[in-house]
Amino acid sequence: MRRYPTWPIHLALLLTACVMLVPFYWVFKTSITGENIFSYPPSLLPVDPQPFFYVDAWYAIPFPRFFLNSVIVAVMVIVANLFINAAAGYALTKNFAGKRWIILLFLACMMIPFHATIIPAYLITAKLGLLNSYLGLGLPAFSHIICIFIFKASFDAIPPSLIQAAKIDGVPERDIMLKIMLPLAKPAVATTIILSFIWSWNDFLWPLIIVRDVEMQTLPLGLSTFLAYFEDTTGALYAFCTMVLAPGLLVFLLAQKEFIQGLTSGARKG
Amino acid sequence: MEGWKGWLVNRVTITFGLIAIVTVGWNLYVRAHNDGILEGEVVDAGGQPVADATVILNEQTLVSLAPIAETTTNENGSFNFLKHDRHKVVLTVAKPGAGASDRILVRLYFRNQNHTLPDPIILQPRG
Repeated sequence: MRRYPTWPIHLALLLTACVMLVPFYWVFKTSITGENIFSYPPSLLPVDPQPFFYVDAWYAIPFPRFFLNSVIVAVMVIVANLFINAAAGYALTKNFAGKRWIILLFLACMMIPFHATIIPAYLITAKLGLLNSYLGLGLPAFSHIICIFIFKASFDAIPPSLIQAAKIDGVPERDIMLKIMLPLAKPAVATTIILSFIWSWNDFLWPLIIVRDVEMQTLPLGLSTFLAYFEDTTGALYAFCTMVLAPGLLVFLLAQKEFIQGLTSGARKG
Repeated sequence: MEGWKGWLVNRVTITFGLIAIVTVGWNLYVRAHNDGILEGEVVDAGGQPVADATVILNEQTLVSLAPIAETTTNENGSFNFLKHDRHKVVLTVAKPGAGASDRILVRLYFRNQNHTLPDPIILQPRG
């Protein structure tokens, strides 16, 4: 069989990757140069780079406080998503009456945008007395249907004989999920961590609605506050954007292998 | 790797561990250098130290400079400010008969950072 050279594919992939990375590069370059985005001709390489726009952004708003708020909410959301979605995904691997309808209901609910349910969500949160609190900030993101299906696909790929052997040995259902299924579903765990982290980290509308005090604001809200305070903010604004983006990129890069495995585990089955 | 080594030596632990080390190191450095001492030297166009020049420490706002502290140079032309509590200031220097300086923008890595101006501020005669 004739083997074709792989370098054209690698070259094409490299060029595509470069094109995809241009916006990130541009944001970072502007954050260290403060160059006006409308300047013409634009410079491809940073001219006179310096880190002081990051210092400006750090002191312009209470960045550590907003960062801490975002981290607390993100951690709560990740933990809740792991437990709730894994449990729901495990339940959907079982056969029970109405399973098909529940899956259809989940799929139907995926088509409803969050904006359409935001008023009921607000009213429920208010009734629970959770407005302006960390729990209230994270509550609507405690479960994502897509993550339930990712867990379901991952659990379905585990040989049933393994579960049957555990049952014969008298392992309770809870331990089967926690000690057998979850360790074998690392890609699904990583995918859930990444998705729930990024969605929580970038969420703007929900915190905007339920947060009352400046001390409870998260980073996306801080960005709007930042824009309201200052006018000439090109460098500091992009520095702020870089600081907001960095944790999400870091989490993605750390777990990207498992993330891709998690997204394709269902596709490999069968 | 087995057991605790597997938990300790992996990319997640190493990455966040390094971030924690850098953060602690940076905070220790800040703690050791945040007395807010800003010092420098004023010279005339000939490079001679200028005594009794008025040095004003300004905060730059959107439209103007707001003075926040003022001092005078000693016989060696040196000056210093304590506890400036800013991360970006503008220095202006003037002395009747000797002239005035350009605005000197001083940007610091953190608030109250100790800093010595690398170059002397030069007074230029003004018409």
